[in-house]
Amino acid sequence: MTEHRLRIDPAGTPRATILIVPPLFEEANRTRRTLALAMRALAADGLAAVLPDLPGQNESPVPLVETDLARWQDALAEAVAAIDGPVVVASVRGGALIDHRAGAAAWWRLAPVGGASLLRTLLRARVAADREAGVTSSLESLQATARNEALLLAGNALSPAMIAQLGSAEAQPVEPLRAIGLGADGIVGTPLWLRAEPGEDAAMAAAIAADISAWSTSCGVS
Amino acid sequence: MTESATVDATLRALLADVLGLGEARAAALTDDSGLFGELPEFDSMAVATVLTEMEDRLGILIDDDEIDGEIFETYGNLLAFSQRKVAD
Repeated sequence: MTEHRLRIDPAGTPRATILIVPPLFEEANRTRRTLALAMRALAADGLAAVLPDLPGQNESPVPLVETDLARWQDALAEAVAAIDGPVVVASVRGGALIDHRAGAAAWWRLAPVGGASLLRTLLRARVAADREAGVTSSLESLQATARNEALLLAGNALSPAMIAQLGSAEAQPVEPLRAIGLGADGIVGTPLWLRAEPGEDAAMAAAIAADISAWSTSCGVS
Repeated sequence: MTESATVDATLRALLADVLGLGEARAAALTDDSGLFGELPEFDSMAVATVLTEMEDRLGILIDDDEIDGEIFETYGNLLAFSQRKVAD
């Protein structure tokens, strides 16, 4: 099944393609607008920018409960293989957990996060929602249940495989890699992926695009 | 900065990030400022995000059974809880 993807092309022939791996779950929605702005800036700089839907996310026809991190890694590897010319993979947050099997010329990661931390927040949202509904649950009881059955966590139906993989997933070593955080010596901006209500930041989008473009050039991709 | 002032500054920055308060609103929070139930942005997902960020930024671990509704009632309660956890 073909997944939808957002692709923004430069005016002429692209120098290379930047494949953006979005953050996972709700964090993808919170950052999508700013990432799309960064893609426009990349296109203005002569690069093609592609933001694929992961199976089970965004407009995907696949039910989320049928996916896991391994399937997302496969999907990204296929998406990169289908692109002509050199590809730089640019991941944000949990996107860094699934980008290492893609055959890229270089990797760029913004604020990579461990899967355990993402899972902990999702489990806690469920505990908080349960408490409001008068049901007692805990991180431990939910994780025990998740060994055998899917769980609905903050609106996401996650399979036992997904929950188990998230619990232990770490960003894997890739080469060449530029890993960057937020702040004065990284990307200036705020962690939009944490925001309860989606925001956007045009200056941050411009900084993201400039950094990816400079890294691509320094890796000889241009 | 004293440890207590550092925890206060970290907590204000964290709430600004998660709730999108902006620096001015975050700086204006007092001990009596209401959080959960008072700020519309502060839903159960925001509570979960705040807890995980508190662990990361303050270097603490928070158990489920330490969390009750009161902690998120006011900024003062959340700050007192954080100070206690950091001192442990």
